[in-house]
Amino acid sequence: MASVKFSGVTKKFGSFVAVANLDLEIMDKEFLVLLGPSGCGKTTTMRMVAGLEEITSGDIYIGTDQVNDVLPKYRDVAMVFQSYALYPHLSVEDNIGYPLRVRKVPPAERKRQVAEVARRVELDTLLARLPKELSGGQRQRVALARAIIRTPRVFLMDEPLSNLDAKLRVQMRAELKHLQHELQVTTIYVTHDQIEAMTLAHRVAVMNRGVIEQLGTPKDIYNNPRTLFVAGFIGSPPMNLIDGEARNGVFTGPGGIRVGGLGRANVMRAVMGVRPEDVQVLAGNHGDANATAPIYSVELTGESTLVSVRAGDHLLTMRADKNFAGDFDQMVGVRIAPDRVFLFDRESENRVDF
Amino acid sequence: MKRSRTTAMVQRIAAYVTIAVALVLTLFPVYWIASNSFKYDIDIFSVPPQWFPVNPVLKHYHAAFVERPFLQYALNSLIIAVATTLVSLVLGTMAGYALARFRFPGQWRYQISFWILSTRMMPPIVTIIPLYIAFNYFDMLNTKLAVVIAYTAFNLPFATWMMKSYFQDLPVELEEAAMVDGDTRWGAFLRVALPLARPGLAATSIFCLIISWNEFLLALVLTLTERSQTLPIGIAGRVTQYNTYWGEISAAGFTACIPIMIFAFIVQKHLVRGLSFGAVKG
Repeated sequence: MASVKFSGVTKKFGSFVAVANLDLEIMDKEFLVLLGPSGCGKTTTMRMVAGLEEITSGDIYIGTDQVNDVLPKYRDVAMVFQSYALYPHLSVEDNIGYPLRVRKVPPAERKRQVAEVARRVELDTLLARLPKELSGGQRQRVALARAIIRTPRVFLMDEPLSNLDAKLRVQMRAELKHLQHELQVTTIYVTHDQIEAMTLAHRVAVMNRGVIEQLGTPKDIYNNPRTLFVAGFIGSPPMNLIDGEARNGVFTGPGGIRVGGLGRANVMRAVMGVRPEDVQVLAGNHGDANATAPIYSVELTGESTLVSVRAGDHLLTMRADKNFAGDFDQMVGVRIAPDRVFLFDRESENRVDF
Repeated sequence: MKRSRTTAMVQRIAAYVTIAVALVLTLFPVYWIASNSFKYDIDIFSVPPQWFPVNPVLKHYHAAFVERPFLQYALNSLIIAVATTLVSLVLGTMAGYALARFRFPGQWRYQISFWILSTRMMPPIVTIIPLYIAFNYFDMLNTKLAVVIAYTAFNLPFATWMMKSYFQDLPVELEEAAMVDGDTRWGAFLRVALPLARPGLAATSIFCLIISWNEFLLALVLTLTERSQTLPIGIAGRVTQYNTYWGEISAAGFTACIPIMIFAFIVQKHLVRGLSFGAVKG
């Protein structure tokens, strides 16, 4: 069990900079999620901790040990690969026992430990099978069992749930979270799925183009996005981001959107961000609406209804009551709570406080 | 419906006819050698041809393996072929793994791979005189070792390339997982990559074995003695100035086919690809 620290870490592949001057400290026992779109450098960051990628410059520490040039086998980390990377020629038992076998644990003791771990992940009846005879969910459990059979200093998980079907994914997500809590092992988890990040993480590092855009608790990232990228990446459905102009605390945008009460904000090329749940749909014409626009689509999700209206060339989505009834092209009023609005500068992509 | 059934039938018949023709073309010479090896000399050239040995005799086998040293030639062939195959396999596997997995600066992976292959681009005959002079200098003519060295030099590029392509087809994550699990690079190679490359090892070994079992030209030049000559040289030696001993040639030739057939039969189940299927992706 240990902390992990990146100090000015850069990774280049030829002239392509995958990770740029990364500073990040992951606390002991913390569950940290690296979140970002594909190609943002999150997997490279994790592979550098495992020792599978050399670092171009900077330092990585596991605990107090600088591990820049340490071979993977001496780093005492365990990794779950996106593809699971199960050894196809070995049985489930030998797959799970592999880390013990290479550490020369005697066969009897190995067998006992494998049985114990297999019971924990409900694989005890499948020990004699080969990986190709297992379902996707079972393979995932084998990969997990292989990682937890010894107590490593750090768990590394590279999109471990992305090959599972939707229902199993939700179930395994809860199991992973519980397991990490039980084992109390520092965990770095890579995903592009913001729901996984929100539900699992103690802290989330949102990465884009090789740098961390924002690091914080899921709540903080959701309620307080500091850049346009983070605002657009977190949340489902995503935050409405509407280009316009802010002058003296009043934002005006396409389709006659007008939101006042924004302090004394003055941004020439502004982007207004507001989450769907912070936009209200008003029946008919209302005097205090921020805009009046035609309905583009109405989607019932079960617990609520997503209503999109057309505002110029933008769509504005809001979460309405599940009993909302409206027709295509029907004109509705839209009310946006000013205290729930974020303003961003299109040039710098940073948030503008007001 | 009826029409498509007829079409399917025609296609099927066409397929069987094609297979039959191919089988006859490849198997008939083998059958003819086998059949001649059991005939009296006079029957080998009988007109019309004698399709089956009417009075089967073993005299040619006796002549070749008892009166003449074909047993020794067969033993030489076996030693040379097995040694060549083992050395080529070991070196080719390690070189192929290095070329498939290790990092090379710039274009060096391609350059080195191409250079290795390019050694096979000249016709072997141009190397014969230099090889003869070299082995003569080291006083190694008429030794099996010289033949093994020469054969290994010719087999190694192919063995390396074949194994390289097999290793490149293996998901690299399996070895990465092994290394994170606490194994060394060598351990990951031995315990993960090598078992999964078994079809490649089987294909490469049968390839090396056939090439060195059948090779004629180098062995002809490098060996003159009974203790070093291989079966193809011995067989060719039965075409003499005054007579061609077709019966003995057939008996020795047919015997020479058998070990390779047995070996191919043993390894063929390993030739099936797809052992690594199911390793990655759910």
